[in-house]
Amino acid sequence: MVKVLFFATLKDKARTRQADFDLPEGTTIAQLKSMVAERYPGTDGMLGHCLASINHNYQADDGVIPSDAEVAFFPPVSGG
Amino acid sequence: MPDLLPTVVAITEDEIDLNALIAEVTLDSTGASAIFTGLVRGITTRENPHETVFLEYESYKPMAEAKMMQVANEIRSRWPAVEGIAIVQRIGRLYPRTPTVLIACTAAHRDTGVFDAARYGIDRLKEIVPVWKKEVSPTGETWIEGEYFPKPGE
Repeated sequence: MVKVLFFATLKDKARTRQADFDLPEGTTIAQLKSMVAERYPGTDGMLGHCLASINHNYQADDGVIPSDAEVAFFPPVSGG
Repeated sequence: MPDLLPTVVAITEDEIDLNALIAEVTLDSTGASAIFTGLVRGITTRENPHETVFLEYESYKPMAEAKMMQVANEIRSRWPAVEGIAIVQRIGRLYPRTPTVLIACTAAHRDTGVFDAARYGIDRLKEIVPVWKKEVSPTGETWIEGEYFPKPGE
């Protein structure tokens, strides 16, 4: 089971902070984005320009998600 | 030797205590500290003039603190004279005139690159540390989004 976290605008659009996904081995960030858009239609159209992390490291669309990973999707950061 | 150099990174909901942080990053050999602190600006006049009632900050805490540590390591590799580093981001609801972030770099002397090191610290924090702010103005609220897209492994 993979834990998926949402932050900022994406959290508002998904209407949740966290979700669990049962992913087949070899699932990529791009594939997970499609699944997220399907389950949370509000996020569709935003995921394209969001950042993604796997276990606290930035990942591109082709990043492969290990089992039991913590994945997060969020907009470009705006701290300071 | 590098493990004797103090590095403090934190996401906190508490008030930023400048004196306590400086004490934590000061060694007997320290003679200079460059400190940057960002504040909530109530009135913006540049570009899109507007008023801010408050900012609401949120973070992805474990990743944010890991990325702050990465920023500190990047500072050390670029400015080896830096002795102590503090990087602290306050989150929650913060009102105008309130300090929101603090970067402090200490060294033996001021001509060692400490000013540049602190500048690098805040610039880099705004690129890779997962923190976001929602701006609440008299007319509504908007999540502020950055512009930087970190590469894998960055």
